[in-house]
This record gives sequence, C-alpha cells and structure tokens, in this order.
Amino acid sequence: MTKTRSIDFSKLGLRDALDLATIIEEEAKERYQELADQMELHHNAAAAHFFRFMHDVEVIHERKLFERRTALFGKEPRTVDRGMIFDIEAPDYDSVRATMTPRQALHTALAAEVKAFEFFEASLPSVTDADVRELFTELRDEELEHQGLVQKQITALAPDDAITTEDMGDDPVAQ
Amino acid sequence: MPTSVAALAAYQSKDFKSDLKPIWCPGCGDFGVVQAIYRALAAIGRAPHDIAFVSGIGCSSRIPGYTTAYGFNSVHGRALPIAQGIKLANPDLLVLVASGDGDGFSIGGGHVPHAVRRNIDITYIVMDNQIYGLTKGQLSPTSPKGLKTVTSEYGSLEEPVNPLMYMLAYGAGFVGQGTPADMAGLADVIEQATRYPGFSFVNVQSPCVTFGEDDDQVKDHRANMKSLASLGHDPTDRLAAMGLAQGYGTDLHTGIFYKNPNPPPTFDAQMRVRQAELAPKALPRERILDMFVQR
Ligand SMILES: Cc1ncc(C[n+]2csc(CCOP(=O)(O)OP(=O)(O)O)c2C)c(N)n1
Ligand code: SF4
Repeated sequence: MTKTRSIDFSKLGLRDALDLATIIEEEAKERYQELADQMELHHNAAAAHFFRFMHDVEVIHERKLFERRTALFGKEPRTVDRGMIFDIEAPDYDSVRATMTPRQALHTALAAEVKAFEFFEASLPSVTDADVRELFTELRDEELEHQGLVQKQITALAPDDAITTEDMGDDPVAQ
Repeated sequence: MPTSVAALAAYQSKDFKSDLKPIWCPGCGDFGVVQAIYRALAAIGRAPHDIAFVSGIGCSSRIPGYTTAYGFNSVHGRALPIAQGIKLANPDLLVLVASGDGDGFSIGGGHVPHAVRRNIDITYIVMDNQIYGLTKGQLSPTSPKGLKTVTSEYGSLEEPVNPLMYMLAYGAGFVGQGTPADMAGLADVIEQATRYPGFSFVNVQSPCVTFGEDDDQVKDHRANMKSLASLGHDPTDRLAAMGLAQGYGTDLHTGIFYKNPNPPPTFDAQMRVRQAELAPKALPRERILDMFVQR
C-alpha cells in the first residue's frame, strides 16, 4: 500500500522536503477538523473537544515548518501538492465512532503519530540529500515524542465508564 | 536543485470539496472514498464546472453533494439512465455516477446491462457495502449468503450478486476495484476509469460501520487486500480478469481487472457522427415544432 504518489525520495531536495512535511501536517490538521465536526454533529462533545485540540496542535506544527521553509527559500513556488500524499499523519477515518470515549479518541491520535513515525522511518533509506536526511530524522524523532505525550494523557485519564459503545448502539430496525 | 516531483496539477483536491459537511456515521468507508474521488478529479485536471456527478438514493449517493461538480442526487436506482441522458445532451461534460450496491444492483439492476452495451462514456462508481445503509441495515443483493439482517432474521438463503463478473460478462470496457483502506490505489483506479473512453466501472468495497458485518472491516481490508498488479495480472486479458473476479466475496483484489486495449467507439461519439451526417437534411426547428401544432 503506497502512501505517496509521484515523489522520488532519492531526488528530494530540502525545499520539497519541507513542503512535503508541511502538507503532511496540513492533511492531519484538516482531518482532525473533520473528525471534530463529525463528533459535534453526533453530539459527542468530549471527543470533538479533543479532536479540536489536536487540530490546533497540527496548526502550530504546520506553521513552524512553513516559517522554516520561507526563511530558507522565500517565495519559491511549491512543487508538491496534496494529491501526492495519502493519510500519512491524518488519523484514519475508520478509527472513529459516533459514541467513542475520550480514551478511544486519544488512541486514534496515538495511532496517527505511529503512522507518521513509520512514514519517516520507511522513507529515510531512500533519501540521499544530507539536509533532507537530517530533517526527516528530526521529524521522525518528534513523532516519537508526540507519541509519548499522547500516551501520558492516556495514562492520566480516568477509567472509561462501564458502559461501552456497544451498549449504546441501536439495534437495526426495519423501515 | 534536482526536481523530485512531477509538475503541479492545474487543480488541487480542495477545489473539488464542497462546503457541505458529510453527515455519514463517523467511521463510514464513504469518507475515504470521497477523498479518493477529490484526488482523482484533481489528477484529471478538468474544472469542476466541466463535471457532472449523478447519484441515486442511499448513503453513498450523497457523494455528489460533497463535491463542487454539478450534482444530481436523483431517484433510487435511476442514476444510470439520468447520467446517460446528461452525457448525450452535453457530451463535453465528464460524467460520473455514484451508487450503492442496493441502488445499483437491486432496484437499478435492470439499467446496468443497457448502460454497458450502449457504451456511453461515463464512470460508474458503486460503494459496495453489502447492505442497505440509509434504510438501516436490510439485506442487499451483494450481502453474503447467511447474513443476518432485519430482513433476513435467520440468515440469507441467497447467493450474492458478483458485481465484477456482472460487468465483465456484459462487456464493460473497464472494470476495477478499490477500498478506502488504500486511498492512493483507489484514487488511481478511479482516475484511470474516468480516463477510459467508454463505460467504466469501479466497485468500491466501502464498509458500513453501523450496519455492516463487523467493526474492523477497513483493518481487515488493509491486512488482506491483494493488488492485481502485484499478482502480475494482465488487465488486457478479459478471461483472466473473469477468473480473478470469481474470488469476489472471499478475496479482496484491488486495481484494474480489465481495460479494453482497443476501446470501441462510444455511443455518444457515434451519435455525434450520425447527427453530423443527418444535419444537412434536418428540418429547421420551427418546422419540427409546426408538425406538433394542430392547424
Ligand atoms: C423507489 C424507492 N424505493 C425504496 C427507497 C428506500 N431506499 C432508500 S435508499 C435504499 C437502499 C440503500 O442501499 P444502497 O443503495 O446499498 O446504499 P447505501 O445506503 O448502503 O450507501 C432504499 C431501499 C426509495 N428511496 N425509493
Ligand atoms: S449507515 Fe452505514 S453506509 Fe450509511 S453512513 Fe452510516 S456507516 Fe455509512
């Protein structure tokens, strides 16, 4: 299963790598927004609140990368776009449910951080540019840090109610 | 500086995303499908106003509303005839159809052979979740035998329809399959189907997390799907495609089953030729109208 399209990592320069990292954060930011909207629509305020928080975190990551890119390459045009990446740090659509608990929402975010770590880890052997290698190594290690932060929150969380999502699902009714 | 990527496309995925927020159940497979559609349309590079997206009725039939293309969320089971009409009226439009397995193979099943044999240049994308989602979980034509639903309390006694064999047997020029578990692969199949000059079909295994068989369908897809390319399948070999398509229901093959290497002329193209031939003999519009007016 491929996560990128039309990107040759062996030829990736620093500008494109920074742009790639920025759109990875952009994709994650938008997905958290979407998930928060979905949760709000289904009256799950707690999960919506957490996904909005994650959205805001991704906004900061995206901005920092963009600033770094602008400092180094100014207004040079972008040559990577969103059509080239697929679900790299964006939480999976299928990992959410209308009645999910905050703990499950945190696990969704944790899985997304793991995915992002695996992406950079898997790409590194193909990267030849030294600056890109350094950037990807830094980003990979950051993903590991983020995993730790999410894990900490999971540990700090009060146990879920004894009622599970399964208890809350309606049985299908003939129309 | 070495260039590492292809040139930027004229349109981006976000250009095809409408302001409507999807109201599907969180976790529904259709969320991933619509993302793959945005990306396929961006890769094709036609403007949203050059595209018409038609659907029937069902959860999956909401897709056109979530795109910026012209949309027609029409009548249950009637998306194909409407889409064919649109293509004939305005052949310059890129016409796509979104449907569910109920919409497409149950109430709308009678339209399928005729759309295929007519070979109008449209792309038919069926979100095959093996259940009626919108109406809360009734048996669908692609539900597996034995499935217990509100309309098959003791388990279905019927063999499911095989949408891939159906399309191949009727002679569709392009037949592919994908899953939102592999969004890049799905976007690619949809893009290729849309580029195919003639009737093209994409079966999307898009899980219904609310009424579907189990909760981890996308995860199962990720673990079990096999790309046809990795199996060395030759997509120009229709018989080999039929052999592989028989695995529907047990194997999850993704990619292109069949793509006719010599696409025959489409109905819409033939119609334009016919119109050009007849044009010199055609009566002026006023004369035609006169024929309907009682004098
Ligand atoms: C003429 C008519 N008959 C029946 C219905 C009720 N109905 C609406 S959607 C649907 C089936 C939906 O299943 P499917 O097409 O598989 O789409 P999904 O919701 O699963 O995406 C039915 C029976 C209708 N709207 N119109
Ligand atoms: S009922 Fe099923 S198909 Fe419909 S939105 Fe919900 S999960 Fe998706």
